[in-house]
Amino acid sequence: MSHATGSRVQQHIGDPLSAEPALPLTKLEEIFKDIQSDLRFDHELNGCLNCGICTATCPAAHYYDFSPREIVQLLWTENLEGIYDAMQEKIWACAQCYTCAARCPFGNSPGGLVMLMRETAIKHGMQSAKNVLRPFSRVMLKLISTGNQLSPDMINRDHFADWGPNISKIEAPLKLLRQAIPMPTLNTTATAWEVNLKTSVELYTIWEETGVLKQLETVDENLFDVISDIMDEKREDWKDFLADQEDEKDEKDD
Amino acid sequence: MDKRVTGSERFTGHGPEWRDSNLSSEDARIATSWVEQKIDKRSMLTNKDRVEDVRDIMWQLEKDGEIVVHRVADEHEPMMVKTLYGWDKKIPTKRLWHHKSCGQCGNIPGYPASLLWLMNRLDVEYLDETDQTSCTAWNYHGSGIGNIESLAAVFLRNFHQAYVAARAQGLPDAYYYPLVHCGTSFGNYKEVRSYLLHSAKLRERVTQILGKLGRLVDGKLLIPEEVVHYSEWLHVMRTRIAAIQEIDCGNIRATIHPACHVYKMVPEDAIYDDNINDGNRLANSTGIMQALGAQVIDYSTWYDCCGFGFRHIISEREFTRSFAIDRKIKVAVEEARADVMIGHDTGCITTLDKNQWIGKAAGKPVELPILADCQFAALVCGAHPYKIVQSHWHASPTETLMEKLGIDWQAKKAEFVAYLDQVKAGKQENLYDPRRMRTSGPGFIPIAKLP
Repeated sequence: MSHATGSRVQQHIGDPLSAEPALPLTKLEEIFKDIQSDLRFDHELNGCLNCGICTATCPAAHYYDFSPREIVQLLWTENLEGIYDAMQEKIWACAQCYTCAARCPFGNSPGGLVMLMRETAIKHGMQSAKNVLRPFSRVMLKLISTGNQLSPDMINRDHFADWGPNISKIEAPLKLLRQAIPMPTLNTTATAWEVNLKTSVELYTIWEETGVLKQLETVDENLFDVISDIMDEKREDWKDFLADQEDEKDEKDD
Repeated sequence: MDKRVTGSERFTGHGPEWRDSNLSSEDARIATSWVEQKIDKRSMLTNKDRVEDVRDIMWQLEKDGEIVVHRVADEHEPMMVKTLYGWDKKIPTKRLWHHKSCGQCGNIPGYPASLLWLMNRLDVEYLDETDQTSCTAWNYHGSGIGNIESLAAVFLRNFHQAYVAARAQGLPDAYYYPLVHCGTSFGNYKEVRSYLLHSAKLRERVTQILGKLGRLVDGKLLIPEEVVHYSEWLHVMRTRIAAIQEIDCGNIRATIHPACHVYKMVPEDAIYDDNINDGNRLANSTGIMQALGAQVIDYSTWYDCCGFGFRHIISEREFTRSFAIDRKIKVAVEEARADVMIGHDTGCITTLDKNQWIGKAAGKPVELPILADCQFAALVCGAHPYKIVQSHWHASPTETLMEKLGIDWQAKKAEFVAYLDQVKAGKQENLYDPRRMRTSGPGFIPIAKLP
């Protein structure tokens, strides 16, 4: 029996659902439609001959149960259960190098499709996404609150023991070593460069307007709360700065 | 026998239907030799049905009054290069706005410092300021937090700031042209520009956001004529850089790691030159190394990524370090007997540099100095290895490279340690006037026109 669905494959070859799908069909369809409706979808997926050149050159395929060819095939054939299954773990293996895209004779971008699936996994609050991103929260905190992904104080021997003893070959306080960088913007330790307060406030507007904060709240509510507090503080600082500017202007005018 | 049943082989990647073909080594070589013949050729990237130059759409949209294009003007003294399909690309050579990389500035500060030092030596005017965010694409590719709208809005905000930044110095808009330091930013921005040019809906959405930020020009989105990576600037300046070279590097065997996000994302915009690698590979980095007289040595896994993986380098480092050692460092050392591996992107330099020490634990004690192309160029042009190149942040043995170049690194290191006392006293040497770095907000002191 064929379900009422817009899925191209289901209309032509029938319902690929197994007897006991992990989620109801309507939910699986909703997930697929979220992937498919992204404006990038048709650009990234153009057909597939199963040639496998993408998987042959894929670094993640060397080490994980991951195949870009499989990702493309699942999406091309609209295999709803397979797509959902791949979103549990496989999509997080991709290293985002885009070797697959450069090599694909059809102009597909499996790496780009993986990004659409990751975004959708987050939108649907999949537990797998929450688990995978938990160790990444320090980076997300830094990026969303400051606009810098990486800061000097994150690079230390405690966090990166496997990088060995030579993270810095000169024994001196981090602050002093950063002051010795001949670019004044880089004399910082908590951000990669000094970020203008106005810049941060503008970035927060972008996060809000584009739904990024909502994504964050879905995967990590605690982190969302922490970042919201930081944003409130910086916005207050910016308001204070503007008020001070007004006061100064008034004084001059008087 | 199916090896998976015994668990003696860790198989991944090809699905449960896969079976070992059990080919002999010779048969396997014959079966795959056609791939090796094709894989090193430019045709591997150009063999596509649909190719378009999005700049055609860009000019049409400007003509239709929908967008404003930030041009690479004569004042930027552009040089022309050819890209993958033989198209022209304008590379500005002066009046540059540095769009920094969070990874470079955060953990390889000698990378941008070397670039700015070279610009000082070549009398290139630039601005390094605080009003910029990272492109946010490292986080996006790692976590999936972010989306096409947020990436587009960040891109347009930063590039708008580049357009107006000179106002703080009493100079006109469009004075500076943005120069992108990070390879991922470069790839991401080009991809986002393409989607912006294609999608009226995306343009409409981000116009609302940029409007709220006061980041429109005449009520329209500002789109850059070219998205330019610093390695492209280095490439077109290679002859001028070679002219100020002080240290001979003809004895150096260099391997090049081309960065994925520089030439695999939006590949049609990457620079190819028939006189460099026979036009079969990206010209960036190879061009400057050859101009400086180094020996550029090939190795079989040149096309592989570094293993960075965005999220992997933070939270799945087993993958990152295994790939970096097995597919890049070990191959460059064993096949090419390399003295150095040169790259042109943030994540690659970090990954390849930092993931060598751990190899000892796995019985793979490989050691290979890792530097960015501009760091190597600065070094042979006489930049201080610690004050400018900041080689102390590199975990890989850059000292062996310096010894081969005839640089007394121990003496230079001692100079730098002594210099730290001067820094402690607040008397550090800077590459530019620090008053330039704030163009608005707290700490900004309006300066009509700096010398």
